[in-house]
This record gives sequence, structure tokens and C-alpha cells, in this order.
Amino acid sequence: MKIKKLLFVTKFEELGFDALRSLLSLRKSALEHVVFVNVIERDRVAMRRGKGYQKDEEIRLREAANIRFIDWAENLFEQGMEVGVYIVVGSLVPEVIQASRKEDADLIVIGRSHKGVLEHLYSGSDVTELLRRAYTPVLVYKQLSETAISVEEPFERPLLAIDWSPGSLRAVEYIKAIKDTVQEVHLVHVADEKALKGPSAMAIQKTRKEARDKLDEICESFEAAGIKAREHVYIGDPDEEIEKAAKDCQATMIVLGSSAKAAWVEKFLGSTPRKIAEDSIYPTLLIAPEKADE
Amino acid sequence: MSKKVLVVDDDPDVRLFSVTVLEENGYTPMEAEDGESGLKMIKAEKPDLVILDVLMPRQSGVRLYRELKTAKALKDVKVIILSGIAKKTFLRSQKALTEFGGAQIPEPEIYLEKPVEPDELADVIKKVLG
Repeated sequence: MKIKKLLFVTKFEELGFDALRSLLSLRKSALEHVVFVNVIERDRVAMRRGKGYQKDEEIRLREAANIRFIDWAENLFEQGMEVGVYIVVGSLVPEVIQASRKEDADLIVIGRSHKGVLEHLYSGSDVTELLRRAYTPVLVYKQLSETAISVEEPFERPLLAIDWSPGSLRAVEYIKAIKDTVQEVHLVHVADEKALKGPSAMAIQKTRKEARDKLDEICESFEAAGIKAREHVYIGDPDEEIEKAAKDCQATMIVLGSSAKAAWVEKFLGSTPRKIAEDSIYPTLLIAPEKADE
Repeated sequence: MSKKVLVVDDDPDVRLFSVTVLEENGYTPMEAEDGESGLKMIKAEKPDLVILDVLMPRQSGVRLYRELKTAKALKDVKVIILSGIAKKTFLRSQKALTEFGGAQIPEPEIYLEKPVEPDELADVIKKVLG
């Protein structure tokens, strides 16, 4: 479960080399191979009345991407790293998943979606679509300029939100595998507000104590792996409380387990991991359960 | 029998260009689209020369070149690097890998930075293959 190979998906405007540079601390763990992916959306070069397929535009876009990637690759090659590249015409999500499969990547890094509100409402974002379909862990990177927090090394102090789902338990193992990069991990469980409607104060305290005991066990397993860990129990709406916890703990990233919920279910019921990936100011690492579909 | 030359490059246009130059000059061209399949073909076909790109999917030319030059059975296969990556970067990357505990390996026979003219490529192929 080590991160040896990372797929860095960029359209350039949302994710640049500074973002990649901040992830190179993963070399302390096992990172040795970076694969750049740029997908030229089909409609940018598609047939136009009277023009046909815009081959010239495709060449221009490919070469523009190539020039940027060569510069980045030279930097990494000179550090003794392995580098690969995909510049393809197609649809972002299928192309990224295909590249991830071909490369057997351990992590996909992607920038936050910049689709408009209406577009988002009708078609969903690329990030959401990718999170739904990828079995490989996905890091939704947030630029410093958009976050107003200073994150030089996102993996330094992750906040791991635990709901005991298979994805969140897999995230525990994922973080242990990069222990040389992680300085301290904060574990948070957000208890449902319904727990406050228990028959007595004792019942409410019991709920909190049970959650804390379970978190304690995970903390101990982190400590045994050599990672400093602290547990926290919050109560309320998970979307808001996880963000609050990240601020309180001065976290550098939020880590969550994700599930393979169908698109229509998500649209109506919502999904905390995906909402946080899209809306949080923190870089967000989403880890799917072991047997999710890809 | 004409000499076998393997072109390893992920860009189909560059492969087509190199294959055309090779055919016009009487060589037998073969193609691979990434470093991993390139290495398999080298082992299976034992070409006389490899024209190798550096920045490719699955395995880069940096690692493929290193694998070639450290394998007893393959180290004599001649290599021309044809890449957008600068020669000094290629040499520095090999130096870094040597410093990380890898073997010292020789420089490639010829290093060409893209783009090249057909005549220039034909000339260096002749020079390398004799």
C-alpha cells in the first residue's frame, strides 16, 4: 500500500509544479515515479462546420502540454526520479482511470473542479465522477491561493475522519504505509446529532466514550507503527465538523474513506467525502474500500 | 540481411518519421510505444540499434537505457537517444541513479534533441551501425 507511483493529472491552470513539489516529501516513504497526465477535452478539437477535425489545434495543445511536462520532468529526472507522461485527447475521467490502470498507480492527484454551478448541477464535476469510479486513492489538491492556509507538505499532519467504514479503515493502513512522511495524525469521529437525544446524560456520554475507546485503539496502532496520533470526538453535521476539526488541529490535509455510491443516490442524499473534496479548503485524500468498482 | 532497428517512442508521429527514414535507408524497422514493451522487444528481437525516447509512459528511456547497459546480454546493443529532454538532464539523471547505488554506465552512442531532420537521423544511424 506504499505510494511508489503517483499520477499527476493537470490542466495546468489549476495544478502546477509547485503543487507537485509539495508532494515530493512522499519520497521519504517510497515515492519514486511520477506520471503526468494531460487530457485535451474532445470538444476543444472536435469537428466544426466547414473546418473538420481540428488537427492543427490538437497539435498545438499537445505541444504546449509537452513543453510544460518536459520542463517538470527534467527537474524530477535530475533528482533520480522516474517520470512518465500521457497527453491524450478524450474525456478526462475515463482517460485518467485508463492511465491509472496501465501504470498501476498508487495515488491519483487532481485539482479541484472549476465547473460552473449549473454545469455542476446537471453533469456533476470531474472530481466527483473520478471519486466515484476510481479504486485508486485520489488526492484532491487545493492551491494555496484558494485555501488561505499554508500547506507546504500536505502529508505532514493529516486529519483522518473515521466512520468505521471499510474505506476509512483502509485509510488507516494507507497512512501507516507513509509513516516516514507523516509527522502526526489526528483522528476524528463525528457522532450524529441524534446521539444527543439519548434518554439521559449518561447515555450521551456512553456514546462519546464508546467512540473514543474505538479511536484509542486506532491511535495505539498508529503509535505502534511509529506515528504520533491523537483522537477527537465531534458531534453534529459531518461536513461542517470535519472542516472545523481540521482547523482546530491545524491539519495539513483531510483524509476520508469513500464509498462507491451510485450517481443518482449521491445527487439526492449527498456524500460527505465528495462534499469535502469539492468544498473544503484543505487538500482532501479519498480512499475507496478494497473492492470498489473501477 | 538488413540490420534491425527498434524505435521506442510514445509519439506515433515520431515513430512514423523514424520508421520512414529507416525504410528509405534499407534497415528493418520495429516499433514499441513505451519503455516496458520496448525492453520486451529488445530481449525477444535483439535489434542492432535502438532509437530511444526518454519521456514515455510505463518506463522512461532513462530506466530502459540503464537496464540495457547493465544487462550482460544486452549491453552491446547500440542506442541513439532521440528526445525533447536535454542531454545534460539525461546524464545528470544517470549520475543521480549511480549515486543512489546503481552501476556506473556509459553515455549513449549519440544523443539527439528533437526535432531532427531526416538526413541528420539517417547519417547518425549509418555512423553508429557502420
